[in-house]
Amino acid sequence: MSRLLSSALSLRRDPRMLKAPPYLSFACILIGLIWLLVLPLDEYSRRTYISENALLPGQVHTYFGGSEQHVFRAYKEEVAALSGKDTHEINNNIEEILKGFGVKVGRQSYTYGAAGGAYSGENVYGILQAPRGDATEAIVLVCPWKTIGGSENRVGVALSLTLARYFKRWSLWSKDIILLFPPEPKVGTQAWVDAYHDAHDPRHVSPLPLKSGALQGALAIDYPDDHHFSTLHIIYDGVNGQLPNLDLINAVGWVAGNQMGIPSFIQGQYNHQNTYQDRLKTMFRGMLSQGLGNVAGAHSSFIPYHVDAVTLQPWGMGHQDEMAMGRVIEGSFRSLNNLLEHLHQSFFFYLLMSRDRFVSIGTYLPSAMLLAANFTIMAIFLWVKSGQAPKTEGDDSKEKSTTLDTSNTVERDMLLPAAIVAGSHALGMIPLFIFNRLPGDVLPHAFAIFSAISIVLPLIVSHLLTSFYKPTVQQSQLTKSFSLLVLGLSLSTLATLNFSLSFIIGLLASPLSFVQPTKSQPLRWAFASLLSLIAPPTIVYTAAVVAGADVGDLLRDASFGWNVLGVYTPVAIWGVWWPAWTVGTVNVLGFAAA
Amino acid sequence: MRFSSSISSLLTSSLLLSTASASSGYHEQLNLRPLPLSNLLASFNFRSNTSLADFESQNFRLFPRSLGQILQYAGTRELHLRFTLGRWDAENWGARPWDGTREGGTGVELWAWLDAETDEEADAKWLTLTNALSGLFCASLNFIDETRTIRPVVSFQAEGDHPNTTLANAKLLHGVLPHEVVCTENLTPFLKLLPCKGKAGIGSLLDGHKLFDASFQSMAIDVRPVCPPGGECLLEVEQTIDMVLDISRSKRPRDNLIPRPIQGHELVCDTSKSYHSDSVCFPVDHLQSQEWTLEQVFGKSIKGACPLTEPGVPPVCVDVPHSRSIFASEGSTEIKSQHSDSRCYKLASEGDFNLVLTQLDASSGDKELVEPEQPLLYADRSFTGYGQEHGGVQAILTNPGDEEVEFVYMESLPWFMRVYLHTLSTRISAASSIPTTSAETSAEIIKEIYYRPALDRERGTQLELLLRIPPKSTVFLTYDFEKSILRYTEYPPDANRGFDVAAAVITTLSPRKMNIRTTSLLLYLPTPDFSMPYNVIIFTSTAIALSFGGLYNILVRQIVGADEGFESPVKSKLKRVLATITRRLAG
Repeated sequence: MSRLLSSALSLRRDPRMLKAPPYLSFACILIGLIWLLVLPLDEYSRRTYISENALLPGQVHTYFGGSEQHVFRAYKEEVAALSGKDTHEINNNIEEILKGFGVKVGRQSYTYGAAGGAYSGENVYGILQAPRGDATEAIVLVCPWKTIGGSENRVGVALSLTLARYFKRWSLWSKDIILLFPPEPKVGTQAWVDAYHDAHDPRHVSPLPLKSGALQGALAIDYPDDHHFSTLHIIYDGVNGQLPNLDLINAVGWVAGNQMGIPSFIQGQYNHQNTYQDRLKTMFRGMLSQGLGNVAGAHSSFIPYHVDAVTLQPWGMGHQDEMAMGRVIEGSFRSLNNLLEHLHQSFFFYLLMSRDRFVSIGTYLPSAMLLAANFTIMAIFLWVKSGQAPKTEGDDSKEKSTTLDTSNTVERDMLLPAAIVAGSHALGMIPLFIFNRLPGDVLPHAFAIFSAISIVLPLIVSHLLTSFYKPTVQQSQLTKSFSLLVLGLSLSTLATLNFSLSFIIGLLASPLSFVQPTKSQPLRWAFASLLSLIAPPTIVYTAAVVAGADVGDLLRDASFGWNVLGVYTPVAIWGVWWPAWTVGTVNVLGFAAA
Repeated sequence: MRFSSSISSLLTSSLLLSTASASSGYHEQLNLRPLPLSNLLASFNFRSNTSLADFESQNFRLFPRSLGQILQYAGTRELHLRFTLGRWDAENWGARPWDGTREGGTGVELWAWLDAETDEEADAKWLTLTNALSGLFCASLNFIDETRTIRPVVSFQAEGDHPNTTLANAKLLHGVLPHEVVCTENLTPFLKLLPCKGKAGIGSLLDGHKLFDASFQSMAIDVRPVCPPGGECLLEVEQTIDMVLDISRSKRPRDNLIPRPIQGHELVCDTSKSYHSDSVCFPVDHLQSQEWTLEQVFGKSIKGACPLTEPGVPPVCVDVPHSRSIFASEGSTEIKSQHSDSRCYKLASEGDFNLVLTQLDASSGDKELVEPEQPLLYADRSFTGYGQEHGGVQAILTNPGDEEVEFVYMESLPWFMRVYLHTLSTRISAASSIPTTSAETSAEIIKEIYYRPALDRERGTQLELLLRIPPKSTVFLTYDFEKSILRYTEYPPDANRGFDVAAAVITTLSPRKMNIRTTSLLLYLPTPDFSMPYNVIIFTSTAIALSFGGLYNILVRQIVGADEGFESPVKSKLKRVLATITRRLAG
């Protein structure tokens, strides 16, 4: 032990130690990336399993069918007759049907403002009181009038009405069943869940006239078309990349697959062949959706309140009919009804490779942490380096000593570097503010102007620096060190909250560790243009183009997410990533080379 | 109104009887009352008494001996015990039976006046009483410890005729177990207290399967002294069971309880819909009245009258409009009340008794049931907020009537729910207007507060508020609380379920006395991941075990260069020996 210690101490003075960090940092990025790529392999991912014994999915016989289909057809006619009518009229009719079979009905209106537009509407919901229960717990069936795709959720609404009437006959419910019919999947659900937990802004959202107990789980139906389906798409992403308990996805998947014989899939990977490529693709889609943190469906808004929820979407052409879908929901509700405790057994942090394969946080987290660590290693390296006096040319050739001269330290001039880093982070407030406050139609113009400023700003700052301050090499190192330190710190913290967002930003920002001021002017400009390729505005624009969307729509969605849903992705982009990039570019252009 | 008059007529008649029939000392009555949406309220009432002198000398006849001895042993003056499951749907079903005085909050509720000079003596007797009753009723009443016991000040008043001196020496204690699930094992001892043991009379209808399938059910036992004017004082035990049965659910045969979808042609459809056809049906079965019989609904019929019962009291009464026809078994006699929609039946002493309520023709326009009476107050309580640190409680109290209602709102909260009394506030909103907050009205609504703060692990919070609600308005009563972190041994096995918080008890004082109980609540406390401590212990133990040796070594050892150290004595001795040998050899 002592020998190990002393050899470690002597290694500290080894000049090779100061050469190692950039390589180490690069190795971190490389290993982090490879780490992620090996996750889909059988050796690193696990098969999903039901951890909560109380769930007992698929253990009960489901009876939904038979003459319920006659009722379903009638409700479908009723729903079809409401097509295109205004929300108030639709809600009147839904309320009438619900009250008909003894369900208590409440309504709630809301108005949100985001990106200059107003999102208003009225939710109608019914509480089917558990016949022998006492309003301590509840499960929710969400059925938005509009689907995620924007079409009318006709079959879904009719099906949930039929199911509600059918559920009413059973006396075994231990939890109240709440039927929620928001006019569309995103805002309405958010308003309702906020108000249910009394976390709403009373200026925009009215309180709920009727409440039940603690919510234990929620299922949303997204079933627009009147055709027979073959598979079930389970959508599970929550706001800010939070996920529902894995047990819920498994239980629903189990009921659909093993009891009803309906295969299920996730992340839009309809043709999942369980190959490495498919698993990787599913994982990447999941990460992208998690990283963006936006709403995936009507269930998303429940998850921040620790209410596990998924959306079920029938998919493809097949021989499964609405009654089969009804039985899947019946089976899942019976499972949730069995719960004695809140879902807590299984994982809340996971990456799914396919419906039945996952990796848990302990396995995947190191990859994002390694990416974040690369910045920290470089920051420490630059800090140490900045404390040493630059060697002169003569010294270098003359002396090849095995130990560094410890008296070779200099005082660090930290004011300018700290000011630059703090200033750029303060500037990050500006895009955060304008993109979340401006009305939707000026957003594309604002983005164009901001992108231009974002490109020009480092040039101006560097010009000012070189002409007024004549910054030293040490200041360059310190600036970069501080900036990378903040980046590493933020990303490693973010990795525990939203792994995917941290990983994506970490990967896109990784060149910042290695670009540095050079003496050669062409190289300097090459670095600068490389950096502008990975600039946040460029990436945002590219992402919009790749996704086939207008950048204005993307920004409008982001603004909506920020104002209505409380999505914090913009903070990570404009408050962490953009300042780091700005400092990196200034560093390349405005400082003297070592 | 008619409902209450029928109940009050029932009460007065039974009261008259109880005074008149001191010699007999037992009577029973079942009151059936159809409720909207094809529900049926069945109120069973059994009352037996004994003279106080007989009771003192342990001469039990109709009074249950097991209960009587417990009461004597624990010095109990008056006892009220409630077992309740489900909730009363006041919006549809109207006012509660017995004005809510014969029901408790979800779970088990017990309050009693105990003979005690001091609080310590009362506590000791309370412990005796709860433990004895726990054994008698197979309920976890022994879990009513001091943290769940409160001493209400204004909410409960003694019902019996107590001499002033005894009441002055009696202490009122109240305990509640909201998590207790009432089930068959509580019904059996309950029936055993009856003189006819559920073998004959209306008690023979009581069956665990039907009772615990009810949408709402409440079993109550009340023991109190009654002193009729000019007569000998009696000790009366009254047992009450109220249950609300869903008729269509209860009618399902016992061998086919699963509510499978019925045959398509049996569906009751709205034929006026344009799309109506053989395979498309808009159901309207909820509008249709149902035919039912006593035997269908309860699973069995009454096995003759209980021979011990007072012959003057008709054991079965039904509250339906006189226009609806009812058929009763042979041998029974029907007595129609002149001034209310009530009719009663006297049973033959032998043979089964059954009742048939016919289906009402929708076209006749006759009323199927007596309209439920509007309750004085609607109460709804729920938690607000989220997260594991703070929370809030909101009680919404609505006065639908035209009279101002004055009432006491009582909460008995567990100690781990730390109430911030300064956040107690009220907001009043008149019907059909926007809620307005005003300090003035707030002061007017709450007239008095009685508050006994909680002590950690010793006693719970007791909060009694005297409130007043103007007619046609709603009061929002809110307060905040903080969630405590429990010690890990204090969590129940199903820690992630949460903790039940007992129902709030509302006792109206004016215009008339009645009780309302809210539903109970489920409180989430910060719950540790109980598998985590295990992992942490394993991990830290390993880490310490591995690092300890090395670290200890570094700390206590002095590390010096090999040439600086002392030579080991053995080695030097060996060297010396070696040196001598080489010298000898050389020499």
